[in-house]
Amino acid sequence: MSQIISKPAIRRLVELWLRQGKRVIAPVQVRPNLVSYQPVRGPDQVLLEGFVRPLNSIKQVVFPRHEQLFQYRVRGKQIDLLPAPLPDIERIVLAARPCDAAALPILDHVFNWEFRDAAYNRRRELTTVVTLACTEYDAHCFCTSVGSRPDDTRGSDALLLDLGDGTLEVRHTTDKGQSLFAGQTQASTRTAPISPGPERRADLRRVSQSLEQAFERSEWAAWTNRCLGCGACAFGCPTCHCFDMVDEGGPTCGARVRNWDACQFGQFTLHASGHNPRGVQSQRQRQRIYHKFHVYPKKFGELLCTGCGNCTRNCPVSLGVLPVLEAMQAEGA
Amino acid sequence: MLQPLRETCRRLLQDGTVQVVIGYGQAVRAVEPYPVFITAPDDVGQLVWNEQCRTNLVKYLLRKEIRALGKPAIVVKGCDERALVVLQQELQIDRSQIVVIGVACDGMDEPRCEVCDAHQPRFADHIIGHATNEMQPAERRYAHLGEFLERPLPDRMAYWKAELERCVKCYACRQACPLCYCERCIVEKNRPACLDTSATLKGNFAWHIVRAFHLAGRCVGCDQCSRVCPEGIDLRLLNLSMAREAEASFGHRSGTDPQAELVLGSFSQQDQEQFIR
Repeated sequence: MSQIISKPAIRRLVELWLRQGKRVIAPVQVRPNLVSYQPVRGPDQVLLEGFVRPLNSIKQVVFPRHEQLFQYRVRGKQIDLLPAPLPDIERIVLAARPCDAAALPILDHVFNWEFRDAAYNRRRELTTVVTLACTEYDAHCFCTSVGSRPDDTRGSDALLLDLGDGTLEVRHTTDKGQSLFAGQTQASTRTAPISPGPERRADLRRVSQSLEQAFERSEWAAWTNRCLGCGACAFGCPTCHCFDMVDEGGPTCGARVRNWDACQFGQFTLHASGHNPRGVQSQRQRQRIYHKFHVYPKKFGELLCTGCGNCTRNCPVSLGVLPVLEAMQAEGA
Repeated sequence: MLQPLRETCRRLLQDGTVQVVIGYGQAVRAVEPYPVFITAPDDVGQLVWNEQCRTNLVKYLLRKEIRALGKPAIVVKGCDERALVVLQQELQIDRSQIVVIGVACDGMDEPRCEVCDAHQPRFADHIIGHATNEMQPAERRYAHLGEFLERPLPDRMAYWKAELERCVKCYACRQACPLCYCERCIVEKNRPACLDTSATLKGNFAWHIVRAFHLAGRCVGCDQCSRVCPEGIDLRLLNLSMAREAEASFGHRSGTDPQAELVLGSFSQQDQEQFIR
């Protein structure tokens, strides 16, 4: 037996969650050809079909692009530090793509590695993730190349699958997901077909083998020199998590804040001395590939990539992870 | 069009006139053409030309990774070419060390193409194909801005708040812009910091306003900033507003006349403003 729910019933739930003061984040059609995860104001905004994937990711729900760590106040010789209060609003992410949700357990490693990040963990506890299995793909999707699939349940509390007649099959994967839909679904004999997903385009075993020796290869420039050095790949990526900490304010009061940062920015590794260990773009691109497919897997046992393809989709010049891996493969690296 | 383009590039590489051709390549139709850097005459087959060649390649003339490849030839459209004119005026490039291959363009299905008056390149060394440049009256060129300005002020403020709220400060707008070439951008100055680096509404307003002002009288309207913005923010509106001001006040259309004096880069003893003397 399966559990099903109608799309109108889902929208009624959204209305209920909003009334309960919860924050609902879902794919929203910002304008034609532009779908983005945004906090919704009403149930009609939520997209439940007709899109490949949003241009941004759900990492913003647990790791916002900007957050205050503490405020400071200086009075004479007295310096007061006022820690930022921990988040307390419950969040429900609805109709997230599995390639977004799968990033959350990956991010958990780094935010609980040598330092347990209290704000991140609190947001994680406050968040319930409901994914929507994919039925369509574009030229940038490559989840199947990195060990994922259209109905991957990693990181999701419940998975919705479109039955094609205005109803969705609901599969719970955690207690959180179970309680979210408790009493809202109907038993059915129908189960949704699972799409095979996009064609496999990278051979991961080969990638990880070649990265053992590819660091000094001279072709990195040829593979990556069209990169313009912006952060569109990193900021749209569900797994990229680098940040910068800066003090904003004046000499008497202000705040220490944490902002997203991106490894393709020229200043990312610029030392105070003026030396930059990654002085040219190909070294920064090489770093991005190594971090995702070599360093992170060695340290945490998981790839730092879910194959969502946003890096290429958002890239001004259609670069991103997959085109680099494909170029490497084409040249026998 | 493609054959003569490839042949011109092959010849330039073969006879050693240039060491690299900056052009467009494409893997599959579903993915937009991307910049390629051809260094061997036999590789010119990688070059493509079609109605999806939206990138303004001029930016690459300024990137050190590409400069390191040697003397370049660059493929430009009539609109891209205007950026070359400004870079030359601002002494950022030595035009004699660059071979410009202009390709006639019927439009790339972008908003700016509807009011384009530079289908045919004007300043290129080699011109491939033929198109007709029709004069476009200013009202038409600024119609997009005109429509926006008809909305009441509170509406416009609400619009910008909603749009800039989405900005994540990935700086794709800056990195794709052929005229954003500061070695250290003002948002990167941190001793002391000039602008909030945070992608908050305040920081985002500051960033986009500063960028628009830095491009005032310089922006050539290639719309790369709008094209590359992952959040779909219509930065074209800001640039049109600055361009219209430069044209109305100084009769200046950036990048259309290599002999023209720069609006912000020139100085006159006869200036009517007191503060400048």
